[in-house]
Amino acid sequence: MSGKAKKSENISKLGRLTPIQLVGITILCIIAAFYLYPLFWMFDSSFRPATDIFQFPPVLFQHFFKAIQDYSLQSFKTAIVDWNVLLSFLMSVIVTVGGILGTLLVCSLCAYAFAYLEFPGRSGLFILILGTMMLPATTMVVPFYKVISTLGLSDNLLALILPAAMSAFGVFLLRQFYIKIPRALMESARIDGASHIRIWWNVIIPLSRPALAALSIVQFRTLWNDFLNPMIILKSDTLFTLPVKIQVMDSQHFNKPYDAIIATGFLTALVPMIFFMIFQRQFIEGLTGGMKE
Amino acid sequence: MVSSNARPRVRRKKNPISFMAIKDAANAYGMIAPFFILLGVFSFYVFYSGFRMSVSDAQGISAGDYIGFQNYKDLLYADEFASAEFWRAVKVTFKFMFGCLATQVPAAFLLAFVLNQIPLLRIRVILRSAFFLPVLINTVVISILFRMFFLRDTGIINHVLGLLHLPNNIDWLMNSEWALTLLVIVSFWQWTGFHMVYFLSQLQTIDPTLYEAARLDGASPVKVLFRITLPLMRPAITFVMVTSAIGCLQMFDMVFILFPNASYGPGGVAKTLVAYIYDQGFSQEFLTGFASAIGWLTFLIIMLVSLLQLKMLGLGKHDEA
Repeated sequence: MSGKAKKSENISKLGRLTPIQLVGITILCIIAAFYLYPLFWMFDSSFRPATDIFQFPPVLFQHFFKAIQDYSLQSFKTAIVDWNVLLSFLMSVIVTVGGILGTLLVCSLCAYAFAYLEFPGRSGLFILILGTMMLPATTMVVPFYKVISTLGLSDNLLALILPAAMSAFGVFLLRQFYIKIPRALMESARIDGASHIRIWWNVIIPLSRPALAALSIVQFRTLWNDFLNPMIILKSDTLFTLPVKIQVMDSQHFNKPYDAIIATGFLTALVPMIFFMIFQRQFIEGLTGGMKE
Repeated sequence: MVSSNARPRVRRKKNPISFMAIKDAANAYGMIAPFFILLGVFSFYVFYSGFRMSVSDAQGISAGDYIGFQNYKDLLYADEFASAEFWRAVKVTFKFMFGCLATQVPAAFLLAFVLNQIPLLRIRVILRSAFFLPVLINTVVISILFRMFFLRDTGIINHVLGLLHLPNNIDWLMNSEWALTLLVIVSFWQWTGFHMVYFLSQLQTIDPTLYEAARLDGASPVKVLFRITLPLMRPAITFVMVTSAIGCLQMFDMVFILFPNASYGPGGVAKTLVAYIYDQGFSQEFLTGFASAIGWLTFLIIMLVSLLQLKMLGLGKHDEA
């Protein structure tokens, strides 16, 4: 989005729209409402007892008029007490936070070298990094598991954190940002005899906060929603991240605990949505940053 | 603090192997080392070891014996059962990819185009967020939600169809003709907003004076779209097409969860390539060598598709995907 919303932009502007634009906006709003209905349904269902979720006919729009006192936290209670979902929530947080910190550390160090230092093989190595962005990692899920086992990392959260820290996109994004930082800042620090590590830590990191935020948010989405890797690597019930836990609940052949599944799903979806509301700009920038100059 | 001007400065010749250059290079290698160690282990070594496994009859974690390209031959033509399953997976995966690209890219472009016409920034941001929300949600959660919608007796879809007096007794999840369509629908819901954001940000980089000039020259809106907007959107279109094709060809989570009990659709009709890898490598048989061969073939297919796309769409200047 270009610029900030001007204060002058308010409802009075609606009057200046052409009829076509008004109709267009109305149609888009209706489409958006339908588009978001599944999310509303999930929100609503997670506050209802299991028997209500599968009412026949399904409750569609009468929810709006149903009293809120129908709502209960029973499904969440089932999820937490019977399925230990809070522990899975914690595991998801650990993997996500660890993965983000790892990414920032590894990628910003690497991007610093590519942005400011001369060394043999620099452009070749950078092209190599860009090339790995296109590698479809999922196709190698079997050897990946074997390598993880060989390293003794199976059933270990590190097996999810370490590979995530190696983000080619992260190096690319940060380098794009670094080359825009005036070199004079760095040069003067060099003349004062600071080492590169010190400059990276004291000068570049504080200056590149916006880029680090954008990268964090992109990684956050990736890590939080990762499913295949945790499913094959994690074996202990206590280490399951949220998506794996949902899959475990869902693999009950009889009496799937749909109430607990939906409540957990709602919790899982809520976290990135809240983050998106707060960091919307960084989200969009992080995603499109690799495209724009 | 002694100022650096105190000492007479000796002008060094630009010597490629000066002490400083060596020190800088050593520093640089130290700084890129963590990334490249991880890259070496979790990317290159994994691909290498995948290849090593694919030419062996490895099962589980035992290494197995070297059997040459037998796995590949079996998959491509030699083993009747395996090759039938492999080619079916290829077909399913490609159909899914075409279905996704054909529906999501035009819809995302249209959405972005219309949103971009809205003069009120706030409404634009709100609508953009609304279409972007599904992107944030875990595929596992989305797939379970949609499975519940598609259920025959208690699902919303059949209920609404009933309200509209349309046939409402179709068992969507158990109907092999619908399996792929369901996946394309769910994928559409999840990803269209994602592509829209890329198109929107690219549309906003277009210089408005171009449109002004075209309007003064009396160009029709259709002409403006085809002569100005679309050519300038090429980097974004290329980027979205290539990245979403790579994503579609690796689809697994959705098909694994959407159909109950990991059935991949009735009789496994919707088993994609990665689902096939997972099935062979992590199911009861643990045919890790065989599954690695499927993985390598899938990898080659994906690379080929990406290169073809880049060739056809033209490599833009800034879209290093």
